[in-house]
Order: sequence, then C-alpha cells, then structure tokens
Amino acid sequence: MEQRALMAEPIIDERVIAACQQGDREAFALLFESYKDKVFSIAVYSFGGDRAAASDVSQQIFLKLMTSINQFRGDSAFTTWLYRMVVNTCIDEQRKRKRFLPFGESLPMGRVENRRGPEKHYAKREVAECVQAAIKELKPKFRMPILLKYVEGLSYEEIATVLSCSKGTVASRLNRGHRALARKLSHLRDEVVVGD
Amino acid sequence: MFSQHVAKNLSAYCNGETPNNEARQIAEHLIGCNRCRRQFDEIKLGVRLAERLPQLSAPDSLWLDLQTQLDGAGAPRPAVSEPRFTFRSLRFVPVAALVLLTIGIGAFYFYPRPATPFWDVVRLNGSPRIAASPIDAKGRLALGQWLETDGSSRAQIDVGSIGQVEIDPNTRVRLVTAKPTEHRLELARGKMSARIWAPPRLFFVDTPAAVAADLGCSYTLEVDDSGAALLHVTMGWVALQLKDRESMVPAGASCATRPGIGPGTPYFEDASDAFRVALSKFDFGPAESRSMPTLDVLLNQARPRDSLTLWHLLPRVAETDRERVYDRLALLVAPPAGVTREGVLQLNEQMLQLWREKMVTSWRGVSQQQTLGDFPMAASGDASGLVR
Repeated sequence: MEQRALMAEPIIDERVIAACQQGDREAFALLFESYKDKVFSIAVYSFGGDRAAASDVSQQIFLKLMTSINQFRGDSAFTTWLYRMVVNTCIDEQRKRKRFLPFGESLPMGRVENRRGPEKHYAKREVAECVQAAIKELKPKFRMPILLKYVEGLSYEEIATVLSCSKGTVASRLNRGHRALARKLSHLRDEVVVGD
Repeated sequence: MFSQHVAKNLSAYCNGETPNNEARQIAEHLIGCNRCRRQFDEIKLGVRLAERLPQLSAPDSLWLDLQTQLDGAGAPRPAVSEPRFTFRSLRFVPVAALVLLTIGIGAFYFYPRPATPFWDVVRLNGSPRIAASPIDAKGRLALGQWLETDGSSRAQIDVGSIGQVEIDPNTRVRLVTAKPTEHRLELARGKMSARIWAPPRLFFVDTPAAVAADLGCSYTLEVDDSGAALLHVTMGWVALQLKDRESMVPAGASCATRPGIGPGTPYFEDASDAFRVALSKFDFGPAESRSMPTLDVLLNQARPRDSLTLWHLLPRVAETDRERVYDRLALLVAPPAGVTREGVLQLNEQMLQLWREKMVTSWRGVSQQQTLGDFPMAASGDASGLVR
C-alpha cells in the first residue's frame, strides 16, 4: 500500500527526503514541486474555493514540512505523514477562520444542461464547480476522506492512516459523503451519466 | 447467501475496496434487495460526482512566497545544519534550474498517466471495423468507439478481464464504460453473445429497449432495426431493466423487450406455442390484449416450470386478475410457510421473494441442471427483485 503511494510520486524517494532532512534547498524544491498541486487542491476544497486562503495554508504546510521533516522517521509512507500534516493544518486553520470570516459565497449548484460539442467542455467544468460547492458544504469529517480518495488517490487503508481511524470508519464516512453529494446534486445525474 | 443488508459496504464496493468474495456477496445481495439497490444507485452517483473533482494547480507565486518566508528574518528555519544552505550562493542557481527543468521534462514524459480505457478485439471473420477503420487480426476498442461488422464479419471482444463477447455479422456495438466497477457496451443493432465470469452486475449492455445486467452468466442478445431486442440466457441469470421495470431471466429462458415499453415477461423456450403467443400479446399487444382470453391461455397452458412467467405476471396483471394468477401459481408450486394469499395479493416483497426461491427448483430443466445455479437473490428481509 505504502509502496503504491510512493510509486505515485516516483521522483521522491528516501534520498530526496534524506537530503531535505539535511537542509538541501534543492531537494526541498523537488519535494515542493511534487506535492504543491496536491496540497493546494486539498486546501482550496477545504476552504470552499478560496484560493487566497488556500495559498496561505499551503505555505504554512510547506513551512511546517521544512521545519519538521527531521521528525519523519520513515515509520509510515512519506505521503501518509505529509497528508496527515495537510489535513491537520487545514482543520486547524478552518477553526481559526470560522470565528472571523463570513460564510463564503456558494459556487453555483444549478442545473447543468446537457450540451454537445465545444459546450460539453464547459458543462463538465460546471459539474466540477457544482461538486466543489457541494463538497464545501460537507462536514470536514466527511469532506476529508473524499478529498483524500478522489484528489489524492489514496486507498482506504492510507486514508485511515492519515486520519488516524479505522478502515471501517473511512468506509462509513465515505458512504455518508457520497450519499450527501448524490442528494445535493441529484439533478446532475443525467449529466454525469452522459458525461461518462 | 448474504442475508445482511450491505448498505454500509457500498462505497467500498464501488471503490473496488472489497475482497472478491465479499464483492460477489454484495453484488448478489444487490440483485435481490431493492432497498440496498436504491442506496447503491445513490452512492454510485456520489462516487461519479466525486470523480469529477479536478486536481488544481498551485499558483507560481507559492514557491516565491515560500522562499521569502524561508529566507526572511524570523521565519521558521529549516531543521538543518546552516552550512547546507550555503548554496544560496548564485553559482548553484543555474545547476538547480537545470535539475528542475530536467525533472520537469522527465516527469512530463515518464510520469505514469491513466491510459485511455480500451478493450482488445480479435477478428474472427471478414473485416470488422473500429471507428470506421478495418482492423487486422487484432484491434483495440477505445472508450466511445464503435465496432461494426458487415454481413460476413465477426469479432470477439475481451471485456477487460471479466469475460468475452462475440459479435455476429451486421452488428454495431460501442464501448460506453470500462471501469473496475462497471463495464458497459451499447448494442445498437445486431447480435452478440456474452460469457462473463465476474461477480454479478459488473457488465451491462445498453439496448434501445432495455439494459441487460449480467448476473454471472452466458447469454445472447439480439437487437433488430426497430430497436426491439430478444435476450436468451444459456447459463446463470440476466436482468433486463428499463426504469423500474425489470425481468429476471434464468438459463433456458428468453425475454423480449420493446422501445418505450421495456422488458416483457420472461418465459422458458420449451413452453407451448400457444403460451408464447399469448405472452407476446400480453406484453406488447394493445391494452385489450391483457384481457381475460389472453390470460386464460397463459394460466391454462402453464406448467410448473412456467411459474417463472406467472410469478413475473403477479405485479403486472390488473389487480382484479391477480387472484387468478395466484391461484394457478399456488397449484403449480405450493407457497412455502410464511407466504400468505393476502400478502402475495398485496405484493408483499418478502413473500414474493420467499415463494420465488422455492420455485427456482422447478425452473431447472434437465438440460439446465448444471447451468442455472442458485437464484442470485439474497434471503434478506425486504429483498424482492419485484418486477412491474
């Protein structure tokens, strides 16, 4: 399982991590390049599409990564260790911001008409936006497993390790997350099926 | 048989996270349990929606800001020995840039990307065409592409690793979905024979008149120019579905389906001609065809084995005729304990399920002893597979 996670990022191996632990900025740049989009994606979806907030949080995450990478002992896969940090930072930051920020403007969740040709591309994008909006409304405990599964491509076992819970809990939270998405976006059923 | 409801395992099932034996049990349960199947449909939609979440690109400014933070006074320092950071020195910049560029190019070319799904096709006769181009001995049918055969061509498709489909002459099929949890072909016209050895409900064939859902089986499916289709099952079971109308067809039985109407009532092919003609009238004739004379023929001609047909008729006949169907069915196969006349007349799903499980033994003809297999239904509370 961990092997699979590492295989997904073939550039990062023990040597790169060891170099990062030695303070090699070049190695850190490599680490950053490999994970920046994944980290940023989780942050964007966690902050309801607020890219500025996501940038701030991503920065925090990489700073933390840089300063604490010496604590990584290789007991688990590096990705697991990293995603645990990502999830915790996002949740902490959400808690902090919740007190100060007004509720964000929802992305559109309206009907996406079936379209053909060039318009299909835009319809697909609109579906993705609707999903993002619906994801935003999920409770973090249901949102995070979905992000780790579909954005990061982790297995249930890996998600369980990242979230420090059992595989059964992951399955149960994904169940509820999937059902919540389906209920919120049931009007997109045809669009999703046609899109397939 | 998997008697527990499977709702809590459905996401894992959809995501391919259940072991094979458990996946099979879940699939079998889903065939028979309307409640779990409704939840399965909901979760499957949720999965498909979640699959639309794209990975986003971090802004370029992120690295610059991060560098500023790392270099700035008071910023967290890396847990490293300071001398390693001497390559702030400009002489390393071109080297670092070159390394990053090489890595970027390497990643672009060598990073494993998800391949476009395709199924292997073998030419059996003539010159089958994929996307209008003739194939050699072998070809690949990619997602969305049509495979067509002319009057003298035949081809065989490998359905991922779960089965094979033979395409007869004058047939047109398209690959619609090739995912671990769903393999789907569209049969626009012509005839195909499928042999599937995967858990049930992994392989589907869309036709203009219904969807054929594999329940672990072999079958032929033929679609004519009007879009009407005929299913003939040679091993196991197949479900024919259109919206909420569904027919469960076992080995040795056939079922016709018509565009706009959906699947008719399944019947065994050794039923009498009069029985089959009456059934066709009942299923697809004008409304008055459902009247007494047609039903009389069906009831009078029915053998114990034709309880397959009568059982399917229970929810399809007018309420006033249901008692007659029940009485005849009860004569052919006595209802088991726990199944009451009142319950069946009210279409109690659990009772219908129980009764059907008893009937299955009479559906095994001599030639089907080895091929029908267990009825793919769960013995769960509200399992039904009720057809309407």
